[in-house]
Amino acid sequence: MSNSTDLQRRYRRLLAFYPHAFRREHEQEILSVLMDGADPGQRRPRPSESADLLTHATLTRARQPTSWEERHHPGLWVWVRVLIGIWLVILTGILCQDGYWWGLALLAPAALHFYLALRLGRSIDSQREAGGPSPAP
Amino acid sequence: MQEATFLILTALAAGSQHGYGIITDVEQISKRRVRLRPGTLYTALDRLRADGLIVVDREEVVDSRLRRYYRLTPAGSERLAQEADRLHANARVAMSRLDLNGGVAGA
Repeated sequence: MSNSTDLQRRYRRLLAFYPHAFRREHEQEILSVLMDGADPGQRRPRPSESADLLTHATLTRARQPTSWEERHHPGLWVWVRVLIGIWLVILTGILCQDGYWWGLALLAPAALHFYLALRLGRSIDSQREAGGPSPAP
Repeated sequence: MQEATFLILTALAAGSQHGYGIITDVEQISKRRVRLRPGTLYTALDRLRADGLIVVDREEVVDSRLRRYYRLTPAGSERLAQEADRLHANARVAMSRLDLNGGVAGA
């Protein structure tokens, strides 16, 4: 297999982290940009490129409409996400105390869970305001 | 407005460009200080499109690679002009104050 096909396959694997709708719209285009920017003979994505794609894939997913479970049991899911976030922070603390500094990487998914819990909480509040009896101003 | 957004709009101010063209142009405009990565670029382009500041101009396939060209909308040109004005005004104040102090800060 040629270097360029190899590289394309690896880029596609990274792009697979993006939500489906975003990929349908932009995958071919981003792939072209990545291939245009590749060095001759390059076989693997550069670490900085991989980090950039994974970061933006996660951010794009976080902005997506929430899942079916979250729409149907929002109150429960706020707490599930908060608990997962707290657990990840505790785990980070334990790992770092033992000298496993890579544990700090767990703070990223923890932050994402807290963010999603916050967003879900806000959407419950706004639904309440829109649906419930509104107090006279 | 973030600097990356300002530079992307500036790259499109003289005419439509595709993704890789924008990256190389931004690098040139910023004197090699800003090198946009594709993930960053497409997040920005997606937002600018949703805000109505840019639109897709046309698509081409070159060497089996898809190139989608973007251009500024009138709203995009206006927004860029406002931002350039603002930056220019700020820079002018900074320059004149430095001048008043004889060009020596904190003397």
